[in-house]
Amino acid sequence: MTQEQRHISSQLVEFLKSEIIGEGPEFDLQIDEDLLSSGLITSMDIFRLIEFLEKEYEIKVEPTDMTIDNFISVEAMEAFVSQKRA
Amino acid sequence: MASNRIDMAQLLHQLIQSPLRQTPDKAAFRFGQGTLTYQQLDIQSNQLANCLIEAGVKPGDRVGIYLNRCLETATAVYGILKSGAAFVPLDPGQPISRTKDLIDRCQMNVLISQKVQNRRLLKITTQQNQTKLVIGSQLDWQGDSISWDQLDKFSTNDPNISCTAKDLAYIIFSSGTTGIPKGIMHTHASGMAYAELSVGLYQANADDIIGNFCALHFDQSTFGYFSSMLAGATTVIISDALTKFPVSLLQMIEREKISIWYSVPLVMIQMLKSGALDQYDLSCLRWVKFGGEAFSAQQLAELMPHMPNAIFCNVYGPAEVNQCTYFHIREPFPNNQIIPLGYVWDDTDILIVDNNNAVVEAGEVGELLVSSTTMMRGYWDDEKLNSRAFFTVVGTDTKPKTYYRTGDLVCTSAGGDYPYGPNGEYLLYFMGRKDRQIKTRGYRVELAEVELAILSQEDIAEATVMALDNGEEGKLIKAFLVVKREIDINDLKKSLSSILPSYAIPSSWELLDSIPRTRNGKVDYQALTKVYI
Repeated sequence: MTQEQRHISSQLVEFLKSEIIGEGPEFDLQIDEDLLSSGLITSMDIFRLIEFLEKEYEIKVEPTDMTIDNFISVEAMEAFVSQKRA
Repeated sequence: MASNRIDMAQLLHQLIQSPLRQTPDKAAFRFGQGTLTYQQLDIQSNQLANCLIEAGVKPGDRVGIYLNRCLETATAVYGILKSGAAFVPLDPGQPISRTKDLIDRCQMNVLISQKVQNRRLLKITTQQNQTKLVIGSQLDWQGDSISWDQLDKFSTNDPNISCTAKDLAYIIFSSGTTGIPKGIMHTHASGMAYAELSVGLYQANADDIIGNFCALHFDQSTFGYFSSMLAGATTVIISDALTKFPVSLLQMIEREKISIWYSVPLVMIQMLKSGALDQYDLSCLRWVKFGGEAFSAQQLAELMPHMPNAIFCNVYGPAEVNQCTYFHIREPFPNNQIIPLGYVWDDTDILIVDNNNAVVEAGEVGELLVSSTTMMRGYWDDEKLNSRAFFTVVGTDTKPKTYYRTGDLVCTSAGGDYPYGPNGEYLLYFMGRKDRQIKTRGYRVELAEVELAILSQEDIAEATVMALDNGEEGKLIKAFLVVKREIDINDLKKSLSSILPSYAIPSSWELLDSIPRTRNGKVDYQALTKVYI
């Protein structure tokens, strides 16, 4: 994992913890944790997440990009962002 | 198919017996890459039932199912029923405090769950004393826990607990407009009646693959969990992850060859919005059922060409009666027309009454009362609610008949214009909720009617209206819109004035990116109030 990728991952973890999951710093969120099946994030949250990704990383998330594979975990989102920016 | 009716099955958990004998190795449920055959479902639910009995669960007890959509949900449903207990779906997406309340209210000693819920389970179990045992996850707490793997040590024989069709089978909690969840109690008899009627209406059979979109705590799921088993079909449980991604959902329908789909209209609207409908072959769908909210004719017409072999069906019925009407749609509906609720289905009687409980004239608007074999027994532990929910008619020569008050306003129209319904029967139209009828400037306005009028206009994707208190002037109508492209509100008002009286045209407008929804996909009025009012 490059410096850049690590940076994106930690930003995403922070955003998810503070804005989406609404838990304090002691909440342990793993980057490979399945965010979708456990119900940690809801469908409304997805839109906020996309807004965040588009603004923070200056990418455009197309409707066809909105798939489980791209959003299942922090790891997956980071890979998606990196690929979009490449 | 009438021939699908099982000899003897009177209890919901007996529904799997006939397919078990005929096709034991066929998938009863599928989830992602996983499969639960009828035989596995039978064996695993027997083991769970024996475990529950050993843990002291008695017939009539309530057992909580604290699971997201997964294969274990099916095992939990059938295992709990086989133990003689009733299951109570608990939505892990709800706040911990609400879940604790429901556990207390239903005195549930046992919860069935999964490892992914451990964080929440720990909070739930440590904040109340009711729960004694958690099945499905090794939990580090003061009570007992048994993992799914450990259920292997229990007997695989059916415990054969004696229970009757009148016994409680499940309680579904609905959010209720007051915010206090109402526990809708269904018996084996009302659940079976729904399974039989729905299998008959849609001719569901062993070749069907049923897409179960809804989580267990939403009543639409009974079609996938019970009707499907009666038909000897396969139910594909759609994962929580999939529900959030319309494109992945389309992919799944194509891959799994779903033949019967059932969800709220919102899911299909999201598929439309994704712009990806063209990329998938959805010819596998033969029925697309929608319910829970109105579907605009315009959006439905946009969707229909993408599902070329499907008959669309507007399903109507509060969870209290499962379902009571249906309206099949084979050709796109004119844009400015409202899709009817449909025709009343079998074994169901209705009354349409005014505020004095007098039956209204044909064509007039009144509250719909329903009496049917699919009707709930009542609300869990709430005498006050039960006394208001039912209306009993004492006939001169017949037994008293009990009707459920839906709170929905409907009117009838002769069904002759619609070639696909039974001849000569009355068609029901939805005219709003009794509690959404307001008075503004002295006039009575039905908010749902205003919504439908706005939805019939061009470039409107979603519309919701609410009544706000405006001091001496009474109520003021505010509209929330999601638009497809930029619109001029003045033009919209002008065009509405041709179909709505001036007092019914909203005086305040708000454009949103999306309308807030509850976890079941219905408009969340409480959230709207909090944010915008």
